[in-house]
Amino acid sequence: MSIMSYNGGAIVAMKGKNCVAIASDRRFGVQALTLTHDFQKVFEINDKIYIGLGGLATDVQTLSETFRYRVNMYNLKEEREIQPKTFAHLVSSTLYEKRFGPYYCEPVIAGLEKDGSPFICSTDLIGCTTFPNDFVVTGTAEQQLYGMCESLWEPNLEPEDLFEIISQALLNAVDRDAVSGWGAIVHVITEDKVITRTLRGRMD
Amino acid sequence: MADGRYSFSLTTFSPSGKLVQIEHALTAVNQGITSIGIKAANGIVIATEKKSSSPLVDDKTLEKVTMICKNIGLVYSGMGPDARVLVDKARKAAQEYKKIYMEEPPTLILVTEIATVMQEFTQSGGVRPFGVSVLVAGFDEKGPSLYQIDPSGSYFAWKATAIGKNMINAKTFLEKRYNEQMEIDDAIHTAIITLKEGFEGAMTDNSLEIGICYCEDEEFSLPGEAGFVEGGKKIRKVGKFRKLVNEEVKDYLANIA
Amino acid sequence: MEILFGFVGKDYALTASDNTAARSIVVQKRGEDKSRILSKHTLLSYNGEAGDTCQFSDYIAANIKLYEIKNGVALSTAACTKFTRRELANSLRSRNAYQVNLLISGSDPKTGVPSLFWLDHLASANKVNYTAHGYASYFILSTMDLYWHENLTLEEGLGLVKKCLKELKIRFIGNLPDFFIKVVDKNGIREIKL
Repeated sequence: MSIMSYNGGAIVAMKGKNCVAIASDRRFGVQALTLTHDFQKVFEINDKIYIGLGGLATDVQTLSETFRYRVNMYNLKEEREIQPKTFAHLVSSTLYEKRFGPYYCEPVIAGLEKDGSPFICSTDLIGCTTFPNDFVVTGTAEQQLYGMCESLWEPNLEPEDLFEIISQALLNAVDRDAVSGWGAIVHVITEDKVITRTLRGRMD
Repeated sequence: MADGRYSFSLTTFSPSGKLVQIEHALTAVNQGITSIGIKAANGIVIATEKKSSSPLVDDKTLEKVTMICKNIGLVYSGMGPDARVLVDKARKAAQEYKKIYMEEPPTLILVTEIATVMQEFTQSGGVRPFGVSVLVAGFDEKGPSLYQIDPSGSYFAWKATAIGKNMINAKTFLEKRYNEQMEIDDAIHTAIITLKEGFEGAMTDNSLEIGICYCEDEEFSLPGEAGFVEGGKKIRKVGKFRKLVNEEVKDYLANIA
Repeated sequence: MEILFGFVGKDYALTASDNTAARSIVVQKRGEDKSRILSKHTLLSYNGEAGDTCQFSDYIAANIKLYEIKNGVALSTAACTKFTRRELANSLRSRNAYQVNLLISGSDPKTGVPSLFWLDHLASANKVNYTAHGYASYFILSTMDLYWHENLTLEEGLGLVKKCLKELKIRFIGNLPDFFIKVVDKNGIREIKL
């Protein structure tokens, strides 16, 4: 039993047309035992960047605090908002700092760049980044999510369509994973606003 | 005395409330060779005279205008060895920044980094303040900027300024000559004639060092570029710093006489 | 084999912990109170590795008390939890991590709003309405799933505790005869005998 699947969870981010979406399930459990249905795995960095942290819950919480600290310091020092690509590299170097005693967490990042183009990124637990052009997934339902995204996603989705696609992909993926699910939360980041909706899935 | 916990700072307040060591350091700077910095509409120019104590010195090896990272360079007036230490620290700070963010540091970030080092040397035990002032030229996403940092660790942004031996005259001269519309070419010209004011002997391409910061178009690859065509290659503006080579300096000098 | 569970009621947070100190198969003591008072309105209940529990809880309690003395104001229950989680998370990456499971129950001294936090030995923290640690969770979480609701009066709450203990008596192999039941409300922390 891997420590990465001790608490369970599933996170996905997708590119759309001038928008980007990120979604996660909300379960917190200890192996097969479900404890809460309102666990936060996706965190706002600013109104153009969100990060989803999949993996060991304690490290999800520790890292979310670390990133909040580092981004706050960045904002104060540089008197500007951090850009998605820069943030992705900050995440990567933060994780690599603990190369030989890592946080058991695989982040995905979704954001809009300065010119409004969508940005997604995922890294492994020691900070190796990838920047795909379609979608990124992480968590115990990773394989199911790949399957769902592969069949549902298409280029240039409008915000509402992107919301529908990412929600269906996530909800149907977690139904085939015993340690993910119990509700979901979806954020669609657009140029002028972020649409956040919580979803009820199969709650059993 | 210089080590252990009883090594107090050399820089101690005098009864009149002054830090005399810092003032002495400034005196050292004011005896140093003049350096000029000018902010142009599209970049920055920094320049200094290169003066060797003897004609036997191989002046190709002297370097007072130095690159810190791709988009930032600096020039100093004052003590050369002190400046070298500072340049080392500045370069290291720039690379540390790049290591974290995969991005060149903004000018102001690097300036505060250098200024912090200089301030620490006015308050730490067993050290003395740096005997240099530096002019930092940088080009970042906010555009070109020119800063001066003094031995005390204080820093200022300038449109045009001078440090070193001839700074008062040079500044008065710059006040007359400066206008905000001038471009890098004009600014180089202005820098040279400003230096010429206080120059002893003949000015040659070997007795002048010039660095410029400017903006350049650069093609960049999109994230996950392999096989990606949609949108194609993108062009972005990046800040650059470079030193003028002797031939270029020669050309500018030719236009002056 | 230790049992620790709790829930929030209408205007109180309740925790129930067995009072047995055991080593392997041997009972060393009955009547052990496995909790520490963090402030007038916040209680820390623990179980886990014998030495670690006391060491860690004393350390947390002392530091939270120190904060209160230094600043003249007590930490909120949520702040106590954040602090405790951070300490436990830091210890997790040391050579000898504390192996403790915790519940932090409290009540806002002004509004009387109760809160309950669950922390495991890995320092995952969760705000919960009802929860349990250890083997007990496999038996009584479902009992609380069925009977817990937002507006439990203290009397109903004690009824729920009895239901949980009864379930344990029927289905749990461990012999845990007696429990400490602690209630935190606007008036502070007190023990209740069933």
